[in-house]
Amino acid sequence: MPSAALLKTADSRTSLLLRILAIWHIILSMAALAGIALIWAIAPQAVWLKIVISIVLALVGIGSGITAVWIQKRQHRGRMLSLIINYLGFLFCLLYGMQVLGVFLGIDAMAGTFGRGIIFLGGVLLGYLISAFGDRYDNYPARQKVFRQIGKIVILISLAAFLLAVGLLQGLWALILQFNNPTPYFLLVGLILFSIMIWAMWRNPTAEAMKAGNVHEEMLSGLLFLSPNLLGFLLFFAGPLLFSFYVGFTNFDATTGNRDWVGLQNYAKLFNLSIVQLDAPDQPVTEALDVQVYDELTRFNVLGSSFIIGAEDKLFWLALRNTITFCILALPLSIIPALLLANLLNSKLPGMKFFRAIYFLPSIAAVVGVALIWQWLYNAAVGYINFAISSSVNLLNGIFSLVMADPQIRWLSDTRTALLAVVIMSAWQWIGFNTVLFLAGLQNIPGELYEAATVDGAGKWAKFWNVTIPLLAPTTFFVVTTAVINALQLFEQVYVLIPTEPPGGPNNSTLSLVLYLYQKGFQRFQQGYASSVAWVLFIVIFGITLLQYWRNRAGGSNY
Amino acid sequence: MRSTYRVIMFLQTAGAYAILIFFAYLMLFPFLFMFSTSLKDQTDTFRYPPRLIPQEQTTVSVPGYDGLKPLYYALVGDEKRPYALVETNIQAGVFANPNNPEVTITHPLSDVQPTGGADSQQTVTFNGEETKLWDVTVEGVTTPMVQLSQTVLGRFVDPENPSLQVLQNVRLSEPVEKPTIRPENYSEVTTLNGLDRSLTNTTLITIAVVTGQLITSVLGGYALARLRFPGRDQLFVVYLGTIMIPFVVLITPLYQLMVLIGWVDKLAALIIPWIFTAYGTFLMRQFFITIPKEIEEAALIDGASRLQILWKIFIPASVPALATLATFTFLYAWNSFFWPLVIINTGNRANHVLTLSLSILRGKAADNANLVMAGAAIAVLPPMIVYILAQRFFVESATSSGVKG
Amino acid sequence: MFRKSLWPILTLVIIASMLISACAKTTEEPKPTEPQTPPTQPPAADVTLRWRTRPDNQAEIDVYQKASDAIDAKMEGVKLVYEPGGSESSSYQDVLKTEIAAGTAPDVFWIPGTDIADFASRGLIMNLNDMAAGFDINAFYPAPMAHLTHNIDTGKEGAGSGALWGLPRDVSTFVLYLNLDLIAEAGAPDPRELAKEGKWDWDAFLDVAKKVRALGTDIYGYGANAWWGPYGVWLNAAGGGFFNADRTACGLDTDASIEGLTFQRSLYVDNDVAVPYGEDSEPPFMTGRVAMFQNGRWGTPGIRANAKFNWDAVELPKGPNGHMGNWLFWGAYVVNAKTQNPEKAWALLQQLTMAETQGMISELGTNIPSRVSDEAIAKFLTFTPPANNQAYINGLKDNVTAEGPLWAGSWPEFDAVMGPAIQAVLTGQKTIDEFKASICAEANKVFKK
Repeated sequence: MPSAALLKTADSRTSLLLRILAIWHIILSMAALAGIALIWAIAPQAVWLKIVISIVLALVGIGSGITAVWIQKRQHRGRMLSLIINYLGFLFCLLYGMQVLGVFLGIDAMAGTFGRGIIFLGGVLLGYLISAFGDRYDNYPARQKVFRQIGKIVILISLAAFLLAVGLLQGLWALILQFNNPTPYFLLVGLILFSIMIWAMWRNPTAEAMKAGNVHEEMLSGLLFLSPNLLGFLLFFAGPLLFSFYVGFTNFDATTGNRDWVGLQNYAKLFNLSIVQLDAPDQPVTEALDVQVYDELTRFNVLGSSFIIGAEDKLFWLALRNTITFCILALPLSIIPALLLANLLNSKLPGMKFFRAIYFLPSIAAVVGVALIWQWLYNAAVGYINFAISSSVNLLNGIFSLVMADPQIRWLSDTRTALLAVVIMSAWQWIGFNTVLFLAGLQNIPGELYEAATVDGAGKWAKFWNVTIPLLAPTTFFVVTTAVINALQLFEQVYVLIPTEPPGGPNNSTLSLVLYLYQKGFQRFQQGYASSVAWVLFIVIFGITLLQYWRNRAGGSNY
Repeated sequence: MRSTYRVIMFLQTAGAYAILIFFAYLMLFPFLFMFSTSLKDQTDTFRYPPRLIPQEQTTVSVPGYDGLKPLYYALVGDEKRPYALVETNIQAGVFANPNNPEVTITHPLSDVQPTGGADSQQTVTFNGEETKLWDVTVEGVTTPMVQLSQTVLGRFVDPENPSLQVLQNVRLSEPVEKPTIRPENYSEVTTLNGLDRSLTNTTLITIAVVTGQLITSVLGGYALARLRFPGRDQLFVVYLGTIMIPFVVLITPLYQLMVLIGWVDKLAALIIPWIFTAYGTFLMRQFFITIPKEIEEAALIDGASRLQILWKIFIPASVPALATLATFTFLYAWNSFFWPLVIINTGNRANHVLTLSLSILRGKAADNANLVMAGAAIAVLPPMIVYILAQRFFVESATSSGVKG
Repeated sequence: MFRKSLWPILTLVIIASMLISACAKTTEEPKPTEPQTPPTQPPAADVTLRWRTRPDNQAEIDVYQKASDAIDAKMEGVKLVYEPGGSESSSYQDVLKTEIAAGTAPDVFWIPGTDIADFASRGLIMNLNDMAAGFDINAFYPAPMAHLTHNIDTGKEGAGSGALWGLPRDVSTFVLYLNLDLIAEAGAPDPRELAKEGKWDWDAFLDVAKKVRALGTDIYGYGANAWWGPYGVWLNAAGGGFFNADRTACGLDTDASIEGLTFQRSLYVDNDVAVPYGEDSEPPFMTGRVAMFQNGRWGTPGIRANAKFNWDAVELPKGPNGHMGNWLFWGAYVVNAKTQNPEKAWALLQQLTMAETQGMISELGTNIPSRVSDEAIAKFLTFTPPANNQAYINGLKDNVTAEGPLWAGSWPEFDAVMGPAIQAVLTGQKTIDEFKASICAEANKVFKK
């Protein structure tokens, strides 16, 4: 039974803590504002970075100030804001401290020693298996307990062995050695201060004093639980996304660090086309186009007159053309067989699971590995694909006494077939994935519909066309859009499969948009220009996603 | 009537199986090729027509000759016999009878004599030109012939009886081979090209990314599914909207961010950014929302904390969803190539991951298909093994997402 | 309560300890590049210098490592770290640029001659002129030195130009690697003999190639890889070239260049004696299906290791005006513009290009010393096989064009325009006339106005 006196002292302690908290927030607020001034006065960082830091500090400063006021007024939102700010401060000190102490970079060193310890991780697994094995003896609690105990001991011992093997002791020692300049100490103090403030605000008496209820507790838990993901998302996703948008309007060169605002110039260069009517179909390009700006892209004939299209950035248009061609070819090649196979697999014949497992196999293999395999299958001289073609040609010639020539296709070095080679390989890899999607869609179609159709006297084909296809439409739509989105991001397949230097050959015939982006951004380091290419691609993909989303909503109501 | 129906049914089933087996073969063949080539000798990879069973040329020791000599099939009379190649580059001429130039024989130059003696060699008008005649002796019959062109031959002898010999073209001779496998390719490729270190790196990264992503996704998914806080639904829509954003948009700024914090060329850059994903959070949220609220409320009344509820109730109930997310993440982390290419492709070979080492291997071992395939097998096998163990979850991850492929 | 929270706590402990153990080696082997670690060591300690070249195989890495250790022992107050860069196929320069962008590039590195201009005009490498007072640049082949002393502002070259970007590591030149077995089987004349008699010209070359090609559908007379080097020599031999005389505009459409390209196209298209353009010619050569494989000295170690037939080298055939028109390939050691120790880096540069170091490396067979001296050449001739090392030296003497940076424009962009266009010609998709009509209009855009 708490006595009245105790309650009173608790109260006075709480109000003392709250006063300290309010002062702390005022100090924090001023420190943040001072930080802004400091940043602009001395720090050597780039301007954009200064702006970002200033905004963050300003938010902290203002928020902290408001918090102080709310704490004084004993409003609950003051507690929320205080907890959030101190939590963020805590995290900042912790992560920045880890960064300063080299913990993240130390992962490299750990990878070196990890190999030595990996066998002990096996021991951990063994321990887990032992204790899981004990679960079989549900009816003999004593025996179960023994297994659990043994399992736990094995786990702990192997864990300790693992940690020793990967160098825990050296790591600790290295960590201590890093405390050789003021920054870690400074951060350590910050860490302790923020922890104290969190504790002071979190403890029950303070919460009561700030009129916290269950709803607030839930709110805080929600934010706390989401925080790791949300902060990582903001730092590694949303932030870069915005930055990328900004960089698209600059001429950013990563090797020299120049970053000047150029407005829409990048986009203007990308889309700058010129169509000119030609006097004669073979008129030289120098006469038709302003060759100081435009390169010839293509020529075409409409109603007897010839035109020439020139582009300022010819490679972008070639890449766009190749990417679209890739989509157009790879889509049917990976979807139609998948539809067929899914229908076969959906029958109740034995062994279907086995076939499904095999079809899915290519889609789990690394694209790099797959491309290396196919590179040798495509080999013009000794590859299996040309071997298969020659054999079939010989066979057909033999049977029908024809004189078909063996085409001897140079798959990867011929401009006409290189992209096709990429298409075939990609389709091969995607078929199984699409089959599984279609199969899931098929299994969702209620059997009664087929029965009803059978009663109506529909044949197999009629059922396929009138029941399967319409009801599979949402799945088909999903498969198609997903495949398009994947196809638009074609990169690894070309990069590894096509052995030209620079990648994208021969004669730019396999240059895809992402590959072009890679060349611009990471071979020439024109990252401003690369970002604008990325945003063009993004807008296209986003459009398809919107279509998918809209279709899903529309489809949901009448399905 | 009934029997024709049966026949039709049977044919249909047989047809279905035929198609299924055909595609299964198509899907498996590249992997078969990979394993077979990874066990071959380098010369064997260049044989045409290609074969799936690794074979090596047989060698044999021949009395009177040093060392082991390669065996070929030699044409002795009309019979093919395994003979050993003991001497190459024997100068020979292609000769023909001037009256019948269609039929040619190839004969060593040391074995022909000028017709009529070295000092007064006879000539003949052949193709409108004055051409020298040579005495060519074949099976005891000597014929004066003209030399059409020159070539070289190899000397093949019977390994048991070296006095039996045949001269024939070496390049066109068919080698005698026996099936042999070379598992050393694997050790060669791992040690010489640093694939062992890459394998460790990839394993470490995959473990870290999968663990990290499961933790943040479970926490975030739980918050989005069960805990009410201001802005939750808007945040969820944002998460949903960003799932489809292609990675390529992020690659430049993310690279810049890594430059800023000094993580370029560091494994941290392959781990830390990838443990926070909208997709995983979304997946876990969708699953958690299906778990009945009553259990949770009862536990809350008993005084359990949120973390305990999550640990004791939600996680055991959502093992399939967790496994699905884990397989998905595993594949993504194990197979990723573009980001490592951009961020790790620097001089520091110690930090290379498997996919990266493989793409370098492609160039370095351009003419060693066996090594390249062994490397590919090392990269492809672990996902396959996991797949065989946890097939269901792979299929789940495909059907539940279809997103990042 | 303890039991319930044991697992989460244990998990946290594991993660924490893993992260901690992560630090393990960072201090055991301090990496000088870590930007976070401020230089806290006392100044008396050795300065660490990192340097890098592009080796193609382990043997080369070992030799460079040995050279590095030898120099390390010689230089006072310097600790050398040798880093093998990527191989040719892993885009060495891209990697280097990535590292320069990230600020982690080594202090001294090697780059191919064509990249000097790009690196210098972006300010990525240091002008060593002030430190190099009194240094004798004439000890090296003059053509590379002319490019290495190009003054960006004045356009002057040579001694006293006010610029010195680096020192050449080695030089190399094209030869034809011969499969003597195939040539003998085809009954074709030995190109080495023809070369000695002065009869090794385009006609003789075509004759040998045709004879070998007749041996079978998968046997080729000639093979070369698909980049600017192999096709460039035919243009040079005809008296043309990529650029005009002062390298300020495209020269691909001159009559001489077109003559060279036309002959080369005939090898691929009309006479069909060559491995199809774009196919990698090295594997077929190694497996004995190509008679004459055009490659540089760097190809020697691989052929020594893999070729299972009789082989040798011969110089390129003489063009219509009686000259070979070979390339002088070179690459130079340069100093990172951001290095902390320019003086030490310059000292290292001199050590790396000393005759002694060069001898060590050329013994491996990969390259030819970049210093002009009879002694070096005499020694080089003894590094067999190939027996006919003289072929390389002959190639360096006659009408050689130095692989050069493009100071007046962007070489990578010029290459990006030229490569696909030439490919289209050599694969028969474009006629010579179409090529001639449009190539320079497009290629001239890469020159600065």
